[in-house]
Amino acid sequence: MKSRKRIVSLLLVLLFTVLAAIVLVPLYAIVLASFKPATEVLRKGLNLSIDWPVMSMDNYRFLFSGTEGYFQWFGNSVLLTVVQTICTLLVSAFVGYGFAVYDFKGKNLIFTCVLLVMMVPLEIIILPLFQLFMGIKATLGITLIDSFAGIILPFIAQAMPIFFFRQYMSGLPHEFVDAGRVDGCSEYGIYFRIMMPLAIPSFAAMGILIGMNSWNGFLWPLIVIRSQSKMTLPLGLASLLSPYGNNYSVLLAGSVMAIIPVLILFVCFQRYFIEGMTAGGVKG
Amino acid sequence: MKKLASILLVLTMMLTMVSGIATASAAEVTTFEFWTFNELHVEFYLKMAEIWNEQNPDRPVAINPTVFPYDDMHNKLLIALQSGTGAPDIVDIEIGKYANFLMGETQLVPLNRVVEPELDNIVKSRVDIYAKDGNYYGICFHVGASVTYYNKDILDAAGIDAASIVTWDDYAQAGRTVLEKTGVPMCTMETNDPWSFWQMLTEQGSDLLTPDGQPNVNTPEMAKGLKFYQDMITEGTAVVAPGGGHHAEEYYGFMNAGGAASVTMPFWYMGRFTDYMPDLKGKILVMPNPVFEVGQPRSVGLGGTGTSVTNQCKNQDLAVDFLGFAKLSEEGNLKIWEIMGFDPIRKALWTNEELKKPNKFIDYFANFPFDALIQVQDEIPAIVVSENLPKTMTAIRSSIMYRAFEAMEDIPTILAEESAILEKTPN
Amino acid sequence: MNATVQHAAKPPRKPTNETTLRHFGYNQKLAPYVFVAPFIFTFLLFFLYPMISTVIMSFQNILPNQVEFIGLRNYINLNDPIFFKALSLNLRYTFFTLLILIPMPMLLAVLLDSKLMRARNFYRSTLFIPALTSVVVAGTIFRLIFGEMPGSLMNQLVVLFGAKPIKWLKLADTSFIALIMLATWRWTGVNILYFLAGLQNIPRELYESAEIDGANAWQRFTRIVFPMLKPVTIYVLTISIYGGMAMFTESYMIFSGNRSPNNIGITIVGYLYRKAFEENNMGYGSAIGLALLLIVMIVNVIQLYLNGTIRREKKV
Repeated sequence: MKSRKRIVSLLLVLLFTVLAAIVLVPLYAIVLASFKPATEVLRKGLNLSIDWPVMSMDNYRFLFSGTEGYFQWFGNSVLLTVVQTICTLLVSAFVGYGFAVYDFKGKNLIFTCVLLVMMVPLEIIILPLFQLFMGIKATLGITLIDSFAGIILPFIAQAMPIFFFRQYMSGLPHEFVDAGRVDGCSEYGIYFRIMMPLAIPSFAAMGILIGMNSWNGFLWPLIVIRSQSKMTLPLGLASLLSPYGNNYSVLLAGSVMAIIPVLILFVCFQRYFIEGMTAGGVKG
Repeated sequence: MKKLASILLVLTMMLTMVSGIATASAAEVTTFEFWTFNELHVEFYLKMAEIWNEQNPDRPVAINPTVFPYDDMHNKLLIALQSGTGAPDIVDIEIGKYANFLMGETQLVPLNRVVEPELDNIVKSRVDIYAKDGNYYGICFHVGASVTYYNKDILDAAGIDAASIVTWDDYAQAGRTVLEKTGVPMCTMETNDPWSFWQMLTEQGSDLLTPDGQPNVNTPEMAKGLKFYQDMITEGTAVVAPGGGHHAEEYYGFMNAGGAASVTMPFWYMGRFTDYMPDLKGKILVMPNPVFEVGQPRSVGLGGTGTSVTNQCKNQDLAVDFLGFAKLSEEGNLKIWEIMGFDPIRKALWTNEELKKPNKFIDYFANFPFDALIQVQDEIPAIVVSENLPKTMTAIRSSIMYRAFEAMEDIPTILAEESAILEKTPN
Repeated sequence: MNATVQHAAKPPRKPTNETTLRHFGYNQKLAPYVFVAPFIFTFLLFFLYPMISTVIMSFQNILPNQVEFIGLRNYINLNDPIFFKALSLNLRYTFFTLLILIPMPMLLAVLLDSKLMRARNFYRSTLFIPALTSVVVAGTIFRLIFGEMPGSLMNQLVVLFGAKPIKWLKLADTSFIALIMLATWRWTGVNILYFLAGLQNIPRELYESAEIDGANAWQRFTRIVFPMLKPVTIYVLTISIYGGMAMFTESYMIFSGNRSPNNIGITIVGYLYRKAFEENNMGYGSAIGLALLLIVMIVNVIQLYLNGTIRREKKV
């Protein structure tokens, strides 16, 4: 019996090792390609052959020479991701708590709206949203175009995190709320001093998801941002692809460099991330 | 040494002061926000602003450029013009997208004041394609004359003189000889762009659109052109361009290694040769296109980017004057050739000896490229532009070329089906 | 919520600013509205208003300073072969991604959760890594892997099996395979996490009592695990249907642009984008978008109704 278990265990590890290898192949391929001349990669195709004579650090050297504004995009992306993640987390968790803990008139209606927002593709409301931004500028004098605030604000109370936090926080013991009230805490005090700290693991999980989306965001930043100095990394990388001469050397090395920070964050926080996701329990 | 340094320091300080005073007393600089999708265009306009400021110290301009990806720039511009705010002052609009900006009440500024006096000196079709109701809204960078580039080495190996290829029959015959003697195809065809095919239509007097602007794909001229290349592909004397088009890295690699004997592309394609096919240096001849029957126009102006002034510009008069100077003047047109290697729209310039001054284009090609251009200068018809062009181009780029050359489908069937789809597709 | 406990604050003696503020803080009737206010605000301003504009636009022909109502013409125009081509691609894509991305991650999650599994965290994290790459980067990698030159990874593979190199991204079937593989690569790890989360909710006692009753592994899976995973499955199903029907960026990156040979990669959102922005027909674009919304909602409502969630969800 024991030896049978050992064999099953070995087979499982074997299976997952093979799967992990398959999953990592495309990433390995792009890392490899980033050391080859771009023309070589494009003319031959992306593969796994290691061809020492043509491999060099040239793409990275070019990237770090700063000719393409890569590091400005990188810095913008870091700034945007940090600010957007913090703002969205705080606001969405605040709203999610409201849905999780209270019963109130109109709750079903408002929550249906949350679900509705989740299902509407952004593309169909882009034009009116942009016109709205222009209207805000004309009437109130607040500039949202070409600013990070304009990227963040419309999605500060995001549907998906609200849904997630509602699920998570309704799983927290309700007695804490009652105890807080007995102790004379205000409703908001209960949230900020008691419930929010309890929900910290879920913040890590959601933080990574929001951060990922923010770091990789493309369409909306594309519409909002106008000046080259404010472009984010995905916009900058995409701008290297044009019918008038592609800059694949920066694209290859730049893609690798774009994955690295997310990877580091994930490795550091993965414990919280996975705990938060699993403990949060998507209960359907 | 120390002394020298201190003298230099004093001199620099004085210079700074002087220049400081000079700027203070000069007229106020007007800054124009400029959008484009091509880095080279920025270089050109910055240079032109420099020259303009030397000649017009009382009306100095500054260009604040932003380069966006091609599709994204046009989409952003469309949104900005639709909503009435947020557009730049001066903008590059590519010909394939231009029709979008002429729909409805045009949000661009007419340039007639600067264009009309120059009409006799330029290739008129290059402003006609940006005109609506008698108003010129854009000025092109180049003529974009379609020419055929031959690889002289391969032709020599097959014993063919490029100048002897006059008709498409000659071309097809030469293709058989080339294939037999050297084993490489005569040419490549694009499946995702119309640039190497369009001349087939215009030389027969047809076009993608009817003269009144309706989609015009199911025509005998279209069928004849497609059939010609399809037959070459069947024979093996033509192949589909690796990567699907003449702007793919796969194609550059293939061509650079002597993969095909020729390619028909507009004049502006010269820059791709110099930048991406370095091994062909000294081997490429620039020649007029073959025709079906002698006497048909041997070229057509293809592609292009019209620079326009938007109605959101605050100082429209100055912007129009500057644009006219940059795009229509002799200096401007010379810079267009020097910086970008385009065929400038100012015809008078083509015989100017200045053009022969060595640059990377002159050094690269086996003959003087403008010789071909001068031969065909009265054979460059304009293409028809209307709001139906974007969707017709989409049909060409995504379906028709692919089905004819890659899938090798029956041509009458393709054309009947695609024109039916086009009819059903709303603009 | 059972708010039976009364709060301790006494009614204020003097209506000073401070006490009104205190009163506000303890008002349980008001509090939920304050909590959801940020959502209501952004919903009204940044969603509902643009949404209504979109609905109005779908009945219009929109050109700068020349807007006219054209009734249902944009909707009648949806009888358009290319729109149907896009619809068909999204439907097929949704179907196949569901077929792969629900059973496979579920099975892998069960295996990962098994007591016999070693180094669980390591494998769980590794399988999640692809989800961290942006579509821009992942699309670039897959476009190159599926390149048409004989040296590309996929072509090296097929040559290994004795076939000829394939122009993967030029043919409808093979480019569809590339799209599905990209989706499988990016989403397997995410769905595994969802199912793992579901598995944590299964009480250990259930397993143990089943084991005592002599149920084998397969019986335990079908009788306990599968029913207990139903809520998560429904959640994954719902978001995957939306994701599949709205898929656009993947195709955009694989074909390096919104154009594919013979429209083999055209998606609904891609067509919306083409019509509205590339061909300047905002009205028709709006109609396409609303049609998409309607289709997604119908599919999801049917799905939620069939598996009984809708009746239960009523009391959210």
